[in-house]
Amino acid sequence: MMQKSSVIACLEKAWPVLVLVLPLLVAVVLADLYGSVLLKRTVTDALIKIVIVVGLYIFIGNTGIVSFGHIGFAGIAAYFATWMTCCAMMKPITMTGLPDFLRLETYSLWSTALVSVAAAGLAALLIGLVLMRLSGLAASISTLAALFIFHAVYANWDNVTMGRASIVGIPTYVTLWVGLGGAFLAIIAAYLYQISSYGLAARAARDDEVAAQAAGISLYWNRLIAFVISGMVVGLGGVLQVHFMGTISVNAFYLNLTFLTLAMLVVGGMRSLAGAVVGVVVLSTIADVFRRLEAGVDLGATRLSTPTGTQEMFLAALMLLILIFRKDGLMGRRELRLPRLRAGRARAAQ
Amino acid sequence: MLDISELTVRYGKLTALEKTDIRVDEGEAVFVVGPNGAGKSTLLKTVAGLLRPAGGRIAFEGQSIAGGAPERLCRRGLALVPEGRHIFRTLTVEENLLVGMMIRRDRAAVQDDLEQILGLFPILRERFRGVAGNLSGGEQQQLAIARALLQRPRLLMIDEPSLGLAPLVIDQVYASLKELNATGLTLLVVEQSTARVLDLATRVYVLRGGKVVLSDTAEALASGDAMEEAYFGYAGQADA
Repeated sequence: MMQKSSVIACLEKAWPVLVLVLPLLVAVVLADLYGSVLLKRTVTDALIKIVIVVGLYIFIGNTGIVSFGHIGFAGIAAYFATWMTCCAMMKPITMTGLPDFLRLETYSLWSTALVSVAAAGLAALLIGLVLMRLSGLAASISTLAALFIFHAVYANWDNVTMGRASIVGIPTYVTLWVGLGGAFLAIIAAYLYQISSYGLAARAARDDEVAAQAAGISLYWNRLIAFVISGMVVGLGGVLQVHFMGTISVNAFYLNLTFLTLAMLVVGGMRSLAGAVVGVVVLSTIADVFRRLEAGVDLGATRLSTPTGTQEMFLAALMLLILIFRKDGLMGRRELRLPRLRAGRARAAQ
Repeated sequence: MLDISELTVRYGKLTALEKTDIRVDEGEAVFVVGPNGAGKSTLLKTVAGLLRPAGGRIAFEGQSIAGGAPERLCRRGLALVPEGRHIFRTLTVEENLLVGMMIRRDRAAVQDDLEQILGLFPILRERFRGVAGNLSGGEQQQLAIARALLQRPRLLMIDEPSLGLAPLVIDQVYASLKELNATGLTLLVVEQSTARVLDLATRVYVLRGGKVVLSDTAEALASGDAMEEAYFGYAGQADA
C-alpha cells in the first residue's frame, strides 16, 4: 500500500513534465516514420522554439518581468558554437580577430554545446548583475537595451562575426531526435527550477515585492538566478538553431525571433510551463498550415492559394483575440496535473 | 529589545517621521496609533529595512540595524506583516507558508512550528491546497500573520491588522495576537483605529504628523481620554 502511494506521489510530481514530453515524443515518432522532409524540418524547428520559449518562461513566468533581451543569449551561444565548430579552412581568413584557440582549432560538438551554453550563462550573469537591480517596466526596457547592444556589437565586429554577412559551413547535426532531446532538457530544467525554493521565491516576489522582502527574500539574487538559468536554456536553443540551419547571421537573433518567441509565450500562457509548450505548438502549427495555403493547394483542376501575408495577419489576429478574451493565455496559470488522482485524494480527504 | 531614537524618514522633500523615539521591551505588545499619514507604516517599513532612514538610530537587541537589508533583518529575528494583507495571491496557502519558512535553517523544528501555527489558525489547514487569492479578507490576514510567525521572529511587527476586516474577524485576529503575546512573543503593532488597542497593548504611542505626541502604558491610558485627545490633536505636545 505504502509502495503504491509513493509511486502515485512520484507520478503526481513528475506528471507536469510527463504530460508535456510524452505528446512531443509521439509527435516526433510519427513525423519520423511518416512525415515528409519538410514536415520533419518544421517539427524540428518547433522543438528548438520550445527550448527557447521554455527558457524565456523560466525568467518571465517566474519573475513576472518581461525580457526582450534573451534572444541575445541565444545569439551569444550560437556564435560561440559557430566559432568552435565551423569551417576550419575559412575561419583563419574571414575571422581574423578570433583568438588562436578558436581561429585555428575546431572542437567536438558536445564540448562546443557545453561551452556555448556556459558562455550564454556567463553573459546572463554579467548583464543580470546590473539589470536585476531594476523592477517592472524599467527591467524590461533595460533587457531590450541589452539586445540592442548585443546586435550593434555583433553586427559591426567584422573580423570576428563577419558583420551582417552570413557564416556558412556550420555542421548540421540537429535532427528531430536531437531537437526532442533539447526540448526534454529545457522542460526538465524549467520544472526543476519551478519546484525549487528559488523558483518559489521568484514567484513570491512576482506576486508581491513588499511581502517577499518582508519574508526575507532577496529580490535581486532570486531574479539573478532565474535570469542566468533561463539565459543558459535560451543559449541551448541558440546552439541547436545554428546546428540545425548550418548558417548564422546576426539578424537571425534579433527582433523577429524575440517577438515571435514572446508571442508564443503570451499565446500559451506566460505563467505556465505547459503554456510555453502549448504556445509554440499552436503557433507553429498555424504558421505551417498557412505557409502551405500560401504555397497553394490543388483542388482537382484548380489550385487555390491564400494571399502572401495571410499567415502573419492570422497570427496577429489570433494574438489580439487571446489578449482580449484570455489575457493569461491558452493555459492560463495552470499546469497539467493528474486529474483522477487529485479527485481520488479529495474524496479520501472528505 | 528594540530601541528607536531620533528616527527621521523622508520621502524626497516630505518628512514622514521626525526625530521619533520608540522603545519596545521583550515580551511587550506595543501599539503605535495615529491618523492617516501619521507615519505609522513608514515606521515599521523603516525598522524592517524596506525604507532607509534619513537620520536617527534603530537598535535591535543592542545592535544597530538602521538601513540593513530586509532579508538580513529577517534572519536576525524581525518579521513584518505589511499593511493591506500582502500575501502571494497566485500561490497556494501551503506555498505561502513555505515562503515564510525559507529563511529557517532548523528544518526539523519547522514541521512542528507549522503544526502549531495551523492549530492557531485552523482555517488555513482547511484551505491548505487552495489558492491564497481566493481566501476572504480575514483569512488572508491570518495567512500573512502565520507566514510571518513561521520565520520564528523574536519581534513581530504588524501593520494595521484590523484594516478592512469585519468586527467578528477582528476579534479573531486580536485573540490570536493575544495568544501569541502570552507565549512571550514581542509585538509591535500599528493601528489607525484605537478601538481595541487597550485590550492587548502593554504600551501605546500616539503618532501625529510624523511625531510622537503621547506615550504611556496601556494601564495608565485606560483610565482617561488622553489617547483620544492626542489622536485627534486636542492635547498639546507629548509628555512622554
